[in-house]
This record gives sequence, structure tokens and C-alpha cells, in this order.
Amino acid sequence: MEGLELLSFQIISSVGTARSMYIEAISLAKEGNIDEARSLVEEGNKCFVEGHRHHAKIIQKEATGESFEINLLLIHAEDQLMSAEAFGIIANEFIDLYERLDKK
Amino acid sequence: MKKIRLLCAAGMSTSLLVTKMQKEAEIQGLDYNISAHPVSESNNVIPNADVTLLGPQIRFNLKKLQKENPNAIIEAIDMQSYGMIDGKAVILQVKKLLEK
Repeated sequence: MEGLELLSFQIISSVGTARSMYIEAISLAKEGNIDEARSLVEEGNKCFVEGHRHHAKIIQKEATGESFEINLLLIHAEDQLMSAEAFGIIANEFIDLYERLDKK
Repeated sequence: MKKIRLLCAAGMSTSLLVTKMQKEAEIQGLDYNISAHPVSESNNVIPNADVTLLGPQIRFNLKKLQKENPNAIIEAIDMQSYGMIDGKAVILQVKKLLEK
């Protein structure tokens, strides 16, 4: 597929950034900066959506019957995407937890 | 000669960017030695580098690595530049960091 490498990079960059932001947000919550943590999760969500936009292009191409080689870079992109999604969910839970802990 | 080190999750996605950066450095006549490494090697890599750049997947380590290496120049690669595998843009980012 033409441009698959570039698409993979764009996905890795966007969702990788999102994932990093979610992980950073947990650190912020741990330090007691709950508001900042939630803001960073919001920022991460924007990056994640951008990654999904690029990923959708690959799904569409496959749906039209276009075949392409599965390579390590694409696998890394998929992996980062699912990992980012998981960290997004976890970040929200941890922020809530630290907020509850701080209130005690 | 300046040693530019890129840190990444596995070192694979960053190596293509390294190739593009090397081409651009050559065109601009910059004496840069550029390579990519997995973040697990950061303790060996950072002390020997002039500039260390982090890929987006591992940039959550930035504060910790800066704290552990207070005299080192460590920064996150700009998300857009990384996504577009823009060697020229990242070289520009390196130049600005070295100027400080």
C-alpha cells in the first residue's frame, strides 16, 4: 500500500504521544495536581483521535480489498494504539483514585 | 563532532528518522554523529551524547531523565516532525538545542 509507512509513523507519533501524556497524567495525579492531570488526559485524547483518523485510512483501504504486507512498523503502530487506549482508561481511574486518597 | 542520540521504545521506528536526519546533516555540512537506541539503554547513552531526543512513545520519561542527567540536553522530538519522518525539522530542533 502506498504511504503505509508514513501512515504507520503518523499513527505511532500521535498515539505514542497520547500514551505518554496519559502516563505523565498519572504522575501528576500522584503529586496531587489533579486538575493538571485531567487537562493532560484531555490533550492526550486529542492526539489519540488524530491517530485514529490515520488508522481509519488503513482500515478503509483493506476494506476495499487492497492487500498489503504486515510488517514490524505496522505492528508497532497497532500495538501503540491499543496500549494508548488502555492507558487512557487506566489514567482516568488512577486520577480518580488519587483524588479520593487526597481527600481523606 | 556532535553526538546526537535518539531514544525510542525499540529503536525501530526511530531508525528511519535517523537515516533522514543523517542525509540532511550531510547536505547542510553538519558534523553530526546520529544514532537510535532503545530507552532501556539510556544510562549508557545519555552521558555520552551532546543531545538526546526522545520519541513520542517514551517522552513520559523526559522529566525523570532530565532529573537524572541535569547537565545533559534532553528533549522530546516534536510530534509533527516525527509523524512526517521530517529529518530536516528534527535537525533544526537539534541545532536550536545546541545553540542554547
